[in-house]
Amino acid sequence: MSEPVNIRPLAPGTRIVLEGGAVAEIVSNPADGVWVFARYLSAPDDPGRVGQEEMIFAQDIIEIREAT
Amino acid sequence: MMTAREEGYRSGLVDLGAGQISREIFVNDEIYRQELERLFARVWLFVGHESQIPNPGDFFVSGMGEESVILCRDRAGKAHVFLNSCRHRGMKVCRYDEGNTPVFTCPYHGWSYGTDGKLVGVPYFREAYHETLDKSQWGLIEVPQLCVYKGTVWACWDPEAPSFFEYLGDFRPFLDLSLDSWDGGEGGTEILGGIQKWLIPCNWKFPAENFCGDSYHNISHRSVDLVGIGPSGSGRRDLQERMMARRLHVAFYDRGHQTGVYLFPKDQPMPPSYQHSPVVAEYFAHCEAERRKKRGEWARLIGSPGEIFPTTALHPRQPRTIAVWHPRGPHKTEVWRWYMVDAAAPPEVKDFLRDYYIRYSGPGGMTEQDDMENWNYAHAASRGTIARRHPYSYEQGLGFEVDHYEWQGLRIPGTVTDITEAKSSEHNLRNLYRRWAEFMEADSWAELATWRRAEQAAAE
Repeated sequence: MSEPVNIRPLAPGTRIVLEGGAVAEIVSNPADGVWVFARYLSAPDDPGRVGQEEMIFAQDIIEIREAT
Repeated sequence: MMTAREEGYRSGLVDLGAGQISREIFVNDEIYRQELERLFARVWLFVGHESQIPNPGDFFVSGMGEESVILCRDRAGKAHVFLNSCRHRGMKVCRYDEGNTPVFTCPYHGWSYGTDGKLVGVPYFREAYHETLDKSQWGLIEVPQLCVYKGTVWACWDPEAPSFFEYLGDFRPFLDLSLDSWDGGEGGTEILGGIQKWLIPCNWKFPAENFCGDSYHNISHRSVDLVGIGPSGSGRRDLQERMMARRLHVAFYDRGHQTGVYLFPKDQPMPPSYQHSPVVAEYFAHCEAERRKKRGEWARLIGSPGEIFPTTALHPRQPRTIAVWHPRGPHKTEVWRWYMVDAAAPPEVKDFLRDYYIRYSGPGGMTEQDDMENWNYAHAASRGTIARRHPYSYEQGLGFEVDHYEWQGLRIPGTVTDITEAKSSEHNLRNLYRRWAEFMEADSWAELATWRRAEQAAAE
């Protein structure tokens, strides 16, 4: 199990890695520590979700991906 | 002698014919429990002011009876009032007093709701619920009735209750004395600063009856009058205007609302007020002249404390405030007081009024401190085994109220007691308890909306 990620300070544009390997980009953050709104950039388990915007649960976020 | 403490409400505890009311209705735990169901779940309650939630996403956490509610404005600009309790396990979804947010997220399991109340986020919706949970059925619980009137927001949990305006009946123009601008313009008031909130160890009906128009307790405020906290440097208010007016208590028997009011002689100019500040004095003199032009004969009325049944207290003039008596058990009340000013008033006027308001009202206000001391000790001294056997007296002015009151060409609606010579009356207090007893006894709005029967009979 990965270390918990503190999602509260994450700004829009930040890329996050989810359980299962999907990558998403934060669109907005209500800063409640529980959810962020993010758009899928890749989704190996379900490619149809790419481009979709969803609420992402904090415990599904395993890593913050630095901009390359 | 048996006491009624375990029995709960029964007919006869409020005996208006004799002008006596049992102490049980203030101190009995079972009666309090019944009130929450029979009263607070059925009446219209004041929850806040639109100026507290001007923008989409703005929220203000308020209360209805014992329960926390969220007043908020959704992304489309619509105002809502929701029970502040997650549908999953009941945790508060908002634990701030006010703010702005895109969602209300429960910190317990993470269910999240939009500002329109819809359930938008469920952790493990795919994995644990297999996408079968019908989110549309699990939004925040919303009040079935809400009304925004001249900036004030009112809500009611009972879908069978009459509309807010029907609930007000002919009391509406008296509410307007608190909500219209000083110059008589429709609405135009806003909340000044934050909300003052504090606890008092007494039953909620002590402050409620006090604000119905209990002028008998003025002796309690003698020290404040001697200090002279008023806006012209003496007393606690500007009193000249009151000296030349008729003093009236106005009650609406079928609705349970009541207020004090001052009725000016015809064509009598208003004496100067707010003399401690030339800017403020000039502002109010100008407003009063405008009010008379706009409101005509009705402008001869100036407001005095009153109450919209059961827990919204109006203090329309000096200072202009609205208070709510939130029940917190039979022996505790949480007071919330909103301070109001004309939104368009100059900053100097708002600053002056802020200083005056908090000098007068609230937990640090010199006048309200006097009141709290009375309610605190009256309640405590009424809880004892011996004390509660003996009723309170509400006989003052019994039988001296009149319908169709008119003075110098202005007819006043409601049932009126003219206390100009009598000095005081408990007419309005009796009206509060008349309506309270009706709510405790009636099972439906068909019984409570007595005016509908009268209107129907008149139509036939």
